[in-house]
Amino acid sequence: MNSSISKLLYGGGIFFDILKWLILVVIVVTIINSYWYSIFLVDGVSMETSFMNKQMMLSDKSFYRGEADPERGEVVIVKYPGDPQNKQYLKRVIGLPTEKVVIAKNKVYINGKALEESYISPGTEIFPSGTWTLKNNEYFLMGDNRPQSNDSRYFGPVEKRFFVGKAIFMIYPVFQGVGLPRYNI
Amino acid sequence: MNKKSAAKVAKRRSGLIGFYSRKFIFFCGVFLLAFLAFNFIQTNKYSADVESINIGNSNQNSVISVSVDDNGIIRLNGKNVGKTELVNGYDEIRLPVLDNGGEYYDQLKILLSLPKGSAYKTKHEILAIHGVGSTQTYVNDPDTIEYDASQVSAYATITIVAQIPKGVINHPIIDQIINFFRGLEFNVWLLLALVLPIITFLYMTFFLRYLYRINKIDSPDREISAPPMALPPAIVGALFRGKVGSREIAATLIDLARRKDIVILDRERGFAFSKGRFDDRLLGYEKILLSKIFRNNLTSDRAEIERRINNHLYSKKMSIVSAGIYAITTRLGYFKVNPRSIHAKYRLIGILTFLFGLTAFILSLRFQLISTYSSFFWVGMMVSALIVAFSASNIPLRTQIGNEALSNWLAFKKFLSNPKPIPYTPTVIELFEAYLPYAIVLDCEVEWAKRFEEHNFIIPEWFLTDKVGLGLDEFCLSLFPIVSYVARSFAALREPGFE
Repeated sequence: MNSSISKLLYGGGIFFDILKWLILVVIVVTIINSYWYSIFLVDGVSMETSFMNKQMMLSDKSFYRGEADPERGEVVIVKYPGDPQNKQYLKRVIGLPTEKVVIAKNKVYINGKALEESYISPGTEIFPSGTWTLKNNEYFLMGDNRPQSNDSRYFGPVEKRFFVGKAIFMIYPVFQGVGLPRYNI
Repeated sequence: MNKKSAAKVAKRRSGLIGFYSRKFIFFCGVFLLAFLAFNFIQTNKYSADVESINIGNSNQNSVISVSVDDNGIIRLNGKNVGKTELVNGYDEIRLPVLDNGGEYYDQLKILLSLPKGSAYKTKHEILAIHGVGSTQTYVNDPDTIEYDASQVSAYATITIVAQIPKGVINHPIIDQIINFFRGLEFNVWLLLALVLPIITFLYMTFFLRYLYRINKIDSPDREISAPPMALPPAIVGALFRGKVGSREIAATLIDLARRKDIVILDRERGFAFSKGRFDDRLLGYEKILLSKIFRNNLTSDRAEIERRINNHLYSKKMSIVSAGIYAITTRLGYFKVNPRSIHAKYRLIGILTFLFGLTAFILSLRFQLISTYSSFFWVGMMVSALIVAFSASNIPLRTQIGNEALSNWLAFKKFLSNPKPIPYTPTVIELFEAYLPYAIVLDCEVEWAKRFEEHNFIIPEWFLTDKVGLGLDEFCLSLFPIVSYVARSFAALREPGFE
């Protein structure tokens, strides 16, 4: 064997050992990323001004796997029901199962009561208008940037089986938890 | 030596800011990992998707045909695009028929043909985003559901959804099995990932216990007060343990010292090894072990040995040392086959299974084969493969001759570990030195040393120390950590398959 190749192998067979650890780390990180916690980038403007485009966040993917149900105001990651394999969206839970959601006169009504949302600027236009009655396992999701969000107003309520997880931390540019807004309902 | 080369040597020997290739490559690996993680995050995006697409104004109409076969295969314009999925007791079709098509359609009609006239019993829905004027769905006839969309923009995504009642689709057996696994929950897959290695571990444990039982050598009643054969301690260790480890290397070092081939120095600032006499009766593996310690120097101190250890993850020389000990032990007829080849075979099986599991793991994550959670199964398989690979080195391979020889050595071990003190003779300390390497490979060096506690101890001439008035206990406390440290470090440098 050429002496330089020999030196490379025995000074060393480092690549094999590094590869061993690399595989272990990649597997562990991949599993954690796939099933528990994942760092992701917000891609788009539909959650502004709460979450800006290209902001880095941490999601908890294990949250909805058990008995826990999404709560109103939680920022969730859902598979788009029209293309669950390829499209995943970041939206806020607005309507809960069995509730009646009405959008009219730039307001969201839950079971007939106007929902006060602290993260929406006063005077924001909310369209199109409509009425949705949610089934037992359905949720109504909307983006915080109401005029520019593709959400349940267009693709309808989303079943719980399409929920991937919820955003729990903002990592960059600021490091802070994602809190639950207070509602009047 | 000129100034330039002296500086070069000094730089190479500097322990404080020394350049250790192993550490350098390790940190390169860490940075590579960080780089990959950064790139991964760049691609791991969740869309805060917007709905602000301008609808065009050309005048195209289009019809798309989708059909479902009896066995659940979905065809889009005649082309197989997947299968129905069992969801909540329904066979569900959830098919994006148009995604960023690039063309505007005034009217888009999608005709879904279902088997067995099941259209009226089927729930249907159309999901349309990114610029669609209006949508509607209705049943055309018992076999067909029509999905209509108007003013469809070039960026639109249109998905048809249909939930066919159970019994309409006849799933082949293989699909039924897949559907069964698909229905398993996260915790079941997680449990599978734990159960699989546990079963493998239990199987390997019982398998090895069985092999040990049929190869069992009863502790002999007799005691032999001298080594039954003139064998190097490392060979005795390989016979006793079935593998070559750090004890065999440590015993070889002390044996070499006892034979005056090396001198062990225990100094205030650290230990060192010094070359002794020239001996042309050294065994092959002993020569290589010495060349590993000394290279071309006459003395090798702690810093130098550590540098050699730190610069290598694997050492060809140490692998050859192991291979040499195994080869002699096998040649003497003590093993059926060279243990190294058996260990390598099982290790290969383990590594190939591991790689298969790893490939399946990656594919299951990428393509979500069977279930989103099925990757846990492959993780379980990988762990099982590692259990097989690592337990391989414990497979006993001794022959009948090996068992008989070992029985004699166990009788000698009984003598070494006998708690009775050795009676005084003028050569009693020489006896201690002579059998010390065997006591190390037979795991009874402490018991052997205790037998000499009552005698005045004279430090062997192959062990030089700064300390004065060293008794037997202090001698052992000085010598054992040195040889044990060097032996363990050298043993860890062997390549996989040479352990």
